[in-house]
Amino acid sequence: MILIEYGGALLRGLGITLWVSCLALILAAVVGALIGIARTSKFMSLRVAATAYTEFFRSLPTLVMLFFVFYGLTAAFNINLSPFVAATIALGLEGSALMSEVVRGGLQSVGKGQKEAALSSGMPVWQVELYVVWPQAIRVMLPPAVGVYVSTLKGSALASSIGFVELMQTGLLVRERVQNDYDGFTVLIAVAVIYTIVNYAISQAGAHIERKSNYAQ
Amino acid sequence: MYDFYLPDVYPYLHKLPAALWVTIEISILATLLSSIMGVFLAIMRRSDSKVLRGVSTTYVEVIRNMPLVVLLYLIFLGLPAFGIVFSGYVSGLIALTLNSAAFMTEIFRAGLIAVPSGQFEAAQSQGMSRVTVYRYVILPQVLRTSYAPYGNQVIGVVMGSSIMMIATIEEVTAWMYNTGAVTYRYFEVFVVAGIVYLIVCQMANVARIMIGKALFKSAAAGGKW
Repeated sequence: MILIEYGGALLRGLGITLWVSCLALILAAVVGALIGIARTSKFMSLRVAATAYTEFFRSLPTLVMLFFVFYGLTAAFNINLSPFVAATIALGLEGSALMSEVVRGGLQSVGKGQKEAALSSGMPVWQVELYVVWPQAIRVMLPPAVGVYVSTLKGSALASSIGFVELMQTGLLVRERVQNDYDGFTVLIAVAVIYTIVNYAISQAGAHIERKSNYAQ
Repeated sequence: MYDFYLPDVYPYLHKLPAALWVTIEISILATLLSSIMGVFLAIMRRSDSKVLRGVSTTYVEVIRNMPLVVLLYLIFLGLPAFGIVFSGYVSGLIALTLNSAAFMTEIFRAGLIAVPSGQFEAAQSQGMSRVTVYRYVILPQVLRTSYAPYGNQVIGVVMGSSIMMIATIEEVTAWMYNTGAVTYRYFEVFVVAGIVYLIVCQMANVARIMIGKALFKSAAAGGKW
């Protein structure tokens, strides 16, 4: 059975996929939070710059970002990026545009009156943000953030095209190695099934968080 | 500091319009086909038959959670094992359509849910046939709620069409990659391709807003939709 022979390799590939998409999500969350805050800023120029950033990265296919980071940035700055680092940066930048929308939505969901009330009761701005605005905003942000993770995970399959050996690329390499066409098909199906199950599980977890936070409100 | 030099890319610019046309053509085809599939799957989702509902739900859940490129490899590299061979273009179109259909189904389903079921019953009790109810009562309202997310999905299809290069089709991403490979001007080709995608997406956005205004103003004035 082909899957017994190569199942371990595929699962290792899944591990790498999960790891790279986790790192990319962290990058996306940090950059996205900054951009999202800038989008709700009272300074017009900051808002415009942040909106331009979001629109620009949202209009770029993941594959274009991957090629840009892997070939373009390395050529431009004369640096060497491994496919792993390039994939993390590219997926992180893609995700940051989505994340900035999530953060903006979350921040705007907290009523303006709360902020004014907290300020008028003498709290400094950082306290207002830390104790009043963000605890409520994060609850709103969590479910769509899970959606961003799923789309980052799906995007990571494209990193196979810059030679990064994650789940998809493992599947393709195994497929080349096996002689039989049917076995090749089995391997591809196995890869598809793994992606589907993992993403489905994560989406369900996201839906669960959403239900819970709705209940809490 | 890197010295940005666009003229190296000029000799390859003449290939860009053809590549852009491939991107646009495949996006339009995939959007149309997946819309049709989406409508049927969304209606199936509301059917009385458990089997039809199950098929539709499973389809949406499986496809939504599978990366588009995995689907493309399955069709382009996997199916030939069974003697089913599609050209790169057709493989890409099928993958893009199947993928987008799942998202279209969700969009139309949300639109259908937004119409209170009482309206359906009321219209049917007036003696309207199922088709008439859908055509004159349900559809105009679904169109209105689905319109904005539909526009987003169209842009999603344009983004998705970039994977066509994996099926050896010369579209914008492939142009960027191939031109970069011969000129070593990866940064410059990225800027060009980025601007092209940005323009396409913003044009789709503007078209969405304008069509939306035309469509829904006439509805308010008692027009057809």
